[in-house]
Amino acid sequence: MLHLLKIDLKKLTSYRTFWVVCGLYFFTLAFVTASGMEILKWLAGKGAEFGATININRIPLYHFPDVWQNLVFISGMFKIVLAIMVVISVTNEYQYRTIRQNIIDGMSRWEFLLSKILTNGLLSLMSVVMVFVIALVTGMIYSPEIILADVFSDLEFFPAYFLEVFAFLSYALMLGILVQRSGLTIILLLLSHMIETIMKVNIPGTAAGVRDFFPMQSITNLVALPFARYALQEIQDYVAISAVAIAAAWTFLFNYFAYLRLKKADI
Amino acid sequence: METVLSTSKLTKNFGRLCAVNRLDLEVQRGQIFGMLGPNGSGKTTTLGMLMGVTNPTSGSFTWFGEQATNLTRKKIGAVLEHPIFYPYLSGQKNLELNAMIKGADPANIPKVLEVVELTERKDHKYKTYSLGMKQRLAIASALVSNPIILILDEPTNGLDPMGIAEIREIIKRIAADGKTIILASHLLDEVQKVCTHFAVLRKGSLMHCGPVDDVGKGEETVEVVAFHDDLSHILHEFRGSLSVKTENGKFQVRMREGFHSIDLNKFLFEKGIVASHILTQKKSLEKQFLEILQETQEVKH
Repeated sequence: MLHLLKIDLKKLTSYRTFWVVCGLYFFTLAFVTASGMEILKWLAGKGAEFGATININRIPLYHFPDVWQNLVFISGMFKIVLAIMVVISVTNEYQYRTIRQNIIDGMSRWEFLLSKILTNGLLSLMSVVMVFVIALVTGMIYSPEIILADVFSDLEFFPAYFLEVFAFLSYALMLGILVQRSGLTIILLLLSHMIETIMKVNIPGTAAGVRDFFPMQSITNLVALPFARYALQEIQDYVAISAVAIAAAWTFLFNYFAYLRLKKADI
Repeated sequence: METVLSTSKLTKNFGRLCAVNRLDLEVQRGQIFGMLGPNGSGKTTTLGMLMGVTNPTSGSFTWFGEQATNLTRKKIGAVLEHPIFYPYLSGQKNLELNAMIKGADPANIPKVLEVVELTERKDHKYKTYSLGMKQRLAIASALVSNPIILILDEPTNGLDPMGIAEIREIIKRIAADGKTIILASHLLDEVQKVCTHFAVLRKGSLMHCGPVDDVGKGEETVEVVAFHDDLSHILHEFRGSLSVKTENGKFQVRMREGFHSIDLNKFLFEKGIVASHILTQKKSLEKQFLEILQETQEVKH
């Protein structure tokens, strides 16, 4: 397993595009998640222009345990950048026909796919670690007092975040293997949410529960929007088991479809 | 002899097109096996099936007497069609990757780079290589795991005469090491120069299979030049001649079975004629190849 991961990383680590895309991803992720207070100040300034006063110190954006869900939710929006990198990585193998040579050289088709899945896992794990460290540091800075019970509550958002990123990267990998062309795959990836939304609005209200079973929706459902709580609304401040089950099932299916396609194809 | 490769009724259809049709082949250890055929005769498709990238429609094959898995492929060095590498990686890094996949010792890399004379350019990106260098790197990658079998598909395609000569030298050197080589080509001259055995494919069907040495067997043609006014007449008198033709001032005598140039020379000498030029011409593979293709065409009509 480790050997397969090393093979895929060897392909990527000398590829400049990989460093540029990943660098941009981790940089923007860090920058945006760490600069929430600045954004609040800017919002307050704008509000002041219209005569509204917002006391930003009363919004506990970075207080434990709020900080976990807040930052995980924001970070989830950047996974599209990683997904595009995954698409480039796999469609390159088709464009350069290196997938063919990999198999001629003695990889099984499953091993080839597994090497890509393992890289997806690594990228997801790195995202989790990154967001965890930023949340921990900003939480330490901004929380008025550090209560261990608060620090250690709501940590379930991190496994959920891992699944969120990993599921989406699995989806990107599957699309790449099905479509094989980078441009078309990236467009389909970007439009996936929209296409799914169009399908969902056409579902009659009586069958509304079905909507949670759609793949993109299931990934979104893992971590609910937290910010409404600062407008004194009820929010879902936990990870729903049903959401995890549906998203995990889709993750399995994405990778399984990719495997079926690879197994049957002449490469 | 040990059978390295055996196929049984191997078939591949692309839709209604039959690319490979019930192919039975056997390759023994130590052979240099040439696969001949016009473009589109199913050579690459066959090799693709043997190397696990094309799924056979029906039929089966064994490598080393076993069902093929990805592990058997690690023991084979193969380049199909074009060299395939990561363009943004250097030659060295590409070979390191090949070695990792094959589970080969990376210590072999400098050796194979030396064999194909690419040591100086090893740290340059693959995309900066010329076609000849790409082909040579492909051979290096096939050699990196020190395989028992080497499969080369049109290794001299698109090369200039010097490149062709270089690749041919490399193949001969590898063959001298006792490796089994399967060489697909449409260059008959190439196959005749390096191969011990050959098979001819046409439209996916096997037309002929046998040793290259057999090609020259059968009747011979002897080319003669001598200064004598009535040479044609005298040559006709020779018991062993089937027919006599003149070509560029040289006489081409087709010999009966069992007669050779030595008999003709003796005969002329007895007649008081000394030949200034006498040469036995064996049938070339090219001729035989065209004959095989023609025969099968006639059968069909």
